[in-house]
Amino acid sequence: MASRTDTGPVAPRADLLQYLSDTALDADYARVTAARGAPVTSTARRRGIGPALGVLLAFGMLVALAAVQTRSGASEAERESEALRAQIDDGRADFAALTGLSNVLQQQVADLQGTAETASQNDADLLADLGRFRTLTGAAAVSGPGVRVVADDAERTKPGGEGAVLDTDLQVLVNGLWQAGAEAIAINGNRISPLSAIRGAGFAITVNYRSLSPPYAVQAVGDSATLEARFVDTPGGQAWLDLETNFGLRFDMDTVESLSLPAAPAARLRVLYAERQGELP
Amino acid sequence: MIPVLGLVAGVVAGLLLQPTVPVPLQPYLPIAVVAALDAVFGALRAYLDGIFDDKVFVISFVSNVVIAALIVYLGDQLGVGGQLSTGVIVVLGIRIFSNVAAIRRHVFHA
Repeated sequence: MASRTDTGPVAPRADLLQYLSDTALDADYARVTAARGAPVTSTARRRGIGPALGVLLAFGMLVALAAVQTRSGASEAERESEALRAQIDDGRADFAALTGLSNVLQQQVADLQGTAETASQNDADLLADLGRFRTLTGAAAVSGPGVRVVADDAERTKPGGEGAVLDTDLQVLVNGLWQAGAEAIAINGNRISPLSAIRGAGFAITVNYRSLSPPYAVQAVGDSATLEARFVDTPGGQAWLDLETNFGLRFDMDTVESLSLPAAPAARLRVLYAERQGELP
Repeated sequence: MIPVLGLVAGVVAGLLLQPTVPVPLQPYLPIAVVAALDAVFGALRAYLDGIFDDKVFVISFVSNVVIAALIVYLGDQLGVGGQLSTGVIVVLGIRIFSNVAAIRRHVFHA
């Protein structure tokens, strides 16, 4: 111990830790003491207490400052982490709220999609109905299999004579075709609509207010396999059999794979007074 | 006794006044405290060895604090501030331990 203090500067050593602990005491203390010649007395020490006191004062302040600063820094870090934690909580709450909202909206989207599908299904149904009604009323031109009937006056018959085709004969023919299952009928290219009348005007027969002249070509769309056979069994068919045999009227029925019937005139589809009852589907 | 009173007075003054340390110097305050601690323990050991000198104490105190802060400052500028302050603290810590061990031997004669 004493030997370490009264030697001069310690020579550097390979062992750094040993060197550090050997030179722990500032070598200047030993050098100054050696220069003075003898260890200082207590009186000499007291003389030097002024500057040392100042330094110790400064040291105390330094320690206090560092402690205060470290503590304020720590509390600041604490505040910051508190604020961050609050932000995390807020973010979680927001996330939960948004997730709930997203679920609600997804449910709404699913509901609306269901509604839209129902609506488009309704639209499709309405369009199908419309097409069917336009076909049935004669508002739309149609094509399909069926029969073609050619009815003509008996040979050597004057207009209005015994062997002429009358308006009632054509009415019976058309009724028989309806009965046999026809879905659309036209006479000489005049489509029969619900408002069409077949009547005689003078010696001519008019359909849809158009005068026709023989031969009368009646086209009926329906089941081509059964239409002809079923027509023969109807009263219309029987009536025409009589006309053929008794008055010599000419009657010819052929099955046709593809018929094209025009639409009825718009005037025959006008509705002025009838009002529909009930809602549309 | 009087030096201890000075130390206590310094701590009290620091706590009461709380002078603000300039922000650029704040990172070097802890390292300065460790360096000052080394100087103070060295002085205490010299005092017990009977070779205390006030001039040496003042100079070692100031130079310790300034040099330690400068080294760390330099390290910060070079991007190795953390490593350098660790090195400074290791060196000063070993010195403090050695001095405290010597002081202990003086006090307890062991």
